[in-house]
Amino acid sequence: MVSQVVDIEKINEVIDRSPKTPGALIGVLQDIQREFHYLPRMAMEATAKELCVPLSKVWSVATFYNAFSLKPRGENIIRVCKGTACHIKGADLILEQLENGLGIKPGETTEDLKYTVEVVNCVGACAMAPLMIVNDKYHGNVRCDRVLKLVKKD
Amino acid sequence: MVHITINGKVVKAREGEMLLSVIKRQGIDIPALCHHEAIEPTGNCRLCTVEITKEDWNGWKKHVTSCLYPVEEGLIVSTHSSEVMEIRKTLLDLQLARCPNSEYIQKLAEEYGITETSYKTRPDADNCIMCYACTRICEVLGKSAISAVNRGHDKVIGPPFGEEPPDCIGCLACAQICPTDVIEWSDDGEVRTIWNKKFDLIACKKCGKTIITREFADYLIEQRNLPPEYFDTCDDCKRTEVAQKMGGLVEAAKEVTL
Amino acid sequence: MFIDGIEKLNQWQNECRKALDANKKKVLVCLGPGCLASGSDQILDEFKKVLKDKKLGGITLDSIKKTGCHGFCARGPLVVIEPEGIFYSKVKKNDVAEIVEKTLEKGELVERLLYRDGKDDKPIAEYKDIPFYKNQMKISLRNVGQIDPDKITDYVANGGYAALAKALTGSKPAEVIDAVSKSGIRGRGGGGFPTGRKWASCASIESDDRYVICNGDEGDPGAFMDRCIMEGDPHSVLEGMIICAYAIGSKEGYIYVREEYPLAVINLQKAIEAAREHGFLGKNILGSGFDFDIKVNRGGGAFVCGESSALMKSVAGEVGEPRAKYIRSVQKGLHDMPTVLNNVETFATIPVIMDKGADWFASIGTKKSTGTKAFSLAGKVKNTGLIEVPMGISLKEIIYEIGGGIQNDREFKAVQTGGPSGGCLPADKLDLPVDFDSLTEAGSMMGSGGMIVMDDRTCMVDVARYFLNFLVEESCGKCVPCREGLYQLHDLCTKVCEGKATEDDLALMEKLSKVIQTASLCGLGQSGPNPFLSTVMYFRDEYLAHIRDKKCPGGVCRELITFDINDKCTGCLACIAVCPVDAITGEKKKIHIIDQDLCTRCGSCYDICNYDAVEIK
Repeated sequence: MVSQVVDIEKINEVIDRSPKTPGALIGVLQDIQREFHYLPRMAMEATAKELCVPLSKVWSVATFYNAFSLKPRGENIIRVCKGTACHIKGADLILEQLENGLGIKPGETTEDLKYTVEVVNCVGACAMAPLMIVNDKYHGNVRCDRVLKLVKKD
Repeated sequence: MVHITINGKVVKAREGEMLLSVIKRQGIDIPALCHHEAIEPTGNCRLCTVEITKEDWNGWKKHVTSCLYPVEEGLIVSTHSSEVMEIRKTLLDLQLARCPNSEYIQKLAEEYGITETSYKTRPDADNCIMCYACTRICEVLGKSAISAVNRGHDKVIGPPFGEEPPDCIGCLACAQICPTDVIEWSDDGEVRTIWNKKFDLIACKKCGKTIITREFADYLIEQRNLPPEYFDTCDDCKRTEVAQKMGGLVEAAKEVTL
Repeated sequence: MFIDGIEKLNQWQNECRKALDANKKKVLVCLGPGCLASGSDQILDEFKKVLKDKKLGGITLDSIKKTGCHGFCARGPLVVIEPEGIFYSKVKKNDVAEIVEKTLEKGELVERLLYRDGKDDKPIAEYKDIPFYKNQMKISLRNVGQIDPDKITDYVANGGYAALAKALTGSKPAEVIDAVSKSGIRGRGGGGFPTGRKWASCASIESDDRYVICNGDEGDPGAFMDRCIMEGDPHSVLEGMIICAYAIGSKEGYIYVREEYPLAVINLQKAIEAAREHGFLGKNILGSGFDFDIKVNRGGGAFVCGESSALMKSVAGEVGEPRAKYIRSVQKGLHDMPTVLNNVETFATIPVIMDKGADWFASIGTKKSTGTKAFSLAGKVKNTGLIEVPMGISLKEIIYEIGGGIQNDREFKAVQTGGPSGGCLPADKLDLPVDFDSLTEAGSMMGSGGMIVMDDRTCMVDVARYFLNFLVEESCGKCVPCREGLYQLHDLCTKVCEGKATEDDLALMEKLSKVIQTASLCGLGQSGPNPFLSTVMYFRDEYLAHIRDKKCPGGVCRELITFDINDKCTGCLACIAVCPVDAITGEKKKIHIIDQDLCTRCGSCYDICNYDAVEIK
């Protein structure tokens, strides 16, 4: 979901769901991330103001944790698990196929904003390694040559 | 009061005092790049690491950063043991790889026998050693205009969004505390520039010398309940005013006694 | 219904048990991470659909239960029929109608869905007879895979909250701490610190406020035990935390769940609301006058937040940078108040200790490592899944008797335990007992429970590089030895993988590792070099092969290997079909050829060839 124009009312509505204390910062940012699929600048500025937290601290937290994206992401999110079991079963090869086929590295989005590739830490489905998740749909035991087919299918 | 042993000598220390201040009081020089009296210690640079043991530890040793270790009765400290020296050498070797152009680091590394780094140097390296002194002093002052951004090896010090920090008041505390002079700033007559942000400088109404930025002045006036005209004159001119008033009083007093 | 005392609880327990027994049969559909990834939620829906239209005596829609991880992930999706314990594996949506008709209606078995060791072996109908399950002993996982995590009635029917009632009404806080200490239980998150001692330390500090925090960050890649407990039996975690809060005198607790486990957050939240509704959380718990409540706190996605001081920073809304632990968290933790932080599995075990007694728990396992431990068995082992075994069992027993040995009957090379803080142990260490101390002495550690089995097609240098890469990305970046040291160590390790390193580089890596271990601020850095140090200790010849001979014995490091087809090739076209870059050409019944310029050395052809025709040079 791509959103370039951000509705300030929506931002305030999301922030209002949590107590306005510094301790709620990570939770609020996660709610914003879930709502907009990234952290719009306006949202971070509003959060700093409402929670009485210095803007520099909001920026530190936003750039520290894996959960947050600072840029709009693609319509389709492809996540490749980089847990140990997935690694020894060829997670790197899946990423290579994605780079060859879509032209993007992990953390990047295609120019047409259709696809984003991310690596994620172990999701706990190690018996199905290597794992690739396309838009929340899990694909286990992924074979190298099937990667792009699975992506385009969904 | 507790007694601890440093390099074989028994010394006194206050209960709860950090080991580093006791060591420094003995005149022993150990590097402590991220340490400064104005800010709380954080243990980033690890150079103040010392070796500690106690009699009932049966020879077992521990290596701790002295800036954060509270003294205890019976502590036996070694500030320059072979293991400690190896640690400092390697840390400085790593710092040199990170900041190969910093004269400060080059000098310190050379004191520990490192003239060239054993590791891969950082490309396009600046001289920031990530000691966090700048962000900490900014927090102490109450503005928190800059912070540590990103995580791990990509960590940098900077303003929000990489742009002019909205909360910066141009006080220069960050630039002044930085041990490797990384933070650039300039005063150009009426304008101060730091973190790409421009500030108007206030000049003394009496002598014309620039005193402080407008933003910093406003901040201090508010925080410390100063009279709004406090920064109309510089400290020197204020002193002259007071001296003149005092001189006048003395003359007046002389006349009275006479 | 508000449970205001032990009598009310007993009454309610009886009611819950009666309600469950009303169903002649129960159909347990595993919705654990592995089965869910294979679509077991669709199987659950199909059961509901099929049974809705049928009228079977004693079998209603209530008979169908979704459960947490039943354990045997390699054979999922799993369906278990109780009370017999009939075990159906690799179930598909299309099998549901047949299961209903044959097993539920007629009491017959669907033979083709039964477990078989090898293709030609006799099938085993009940899971308790299957080798994977036979040698296990479930304490922290007692309810996982057996109950519906959304139903507090299931938990109570299985004896849930009885331990809490016993503790609140029958023991003083100090007596609870005594029992925990006597049981010998040590922290299950990897640190192995004696839990009783931790609680006692915290309780002894004078303070108006103190906190209980459950560490649900489970950052070790390859470990999913805590996920299964949080998702499959959330009440066991709550009960353990409430008992702890009573023991140390805390009013406020948090469960810190990593960002990558949204289902765990949901299930814990539901459990908390149900517990509040029935008086197990909130004010005047079980009518005892004791108040305690729990909030779920979501992590932001950072492995370093598994470290206790970083976790507490994260709970307070800050970046997860650890602090020096010269002053422990039990003294000054969350908001600088005394805090007990324990792992999910530790809390899930506490109710059983209070219920069955410290002596009973201490009689299991070994003298210094009492009780059981949950493991997630993964990698190149046949029976991947979630297991729990008594401490002291050997690595060999876990990997071969429970794990079923190596996939495709390849050769065992190493077993990795303890995640990025741990190490790899070779074949001659397989007889070692699994406990807190034995593996550490051998240069690895038991850790939180991730156990990855590796075969001969693994390069140990590549494994070290993988873990170092992980740690470099996850380092908070605050201190020099970790941020700069691990970065350089990883860089040097990559040089080895690429065949560009010298023996001087190896010596430098060993020297650097020692300093990183000694000088780092927190556990991430201090244990960071372990994957390298353990592999260089046991597999030094592999490092030297990369350095001296520019060869990768495991056939993994792509700069150092080439794939070639020899004359054993029968021309079956299989490799051509799987090559992702179309680098192989050939016709039917003619020897195929790999174009070395196009080949990416992914190994797909090697893996699919049935004739040993693909060679790795």
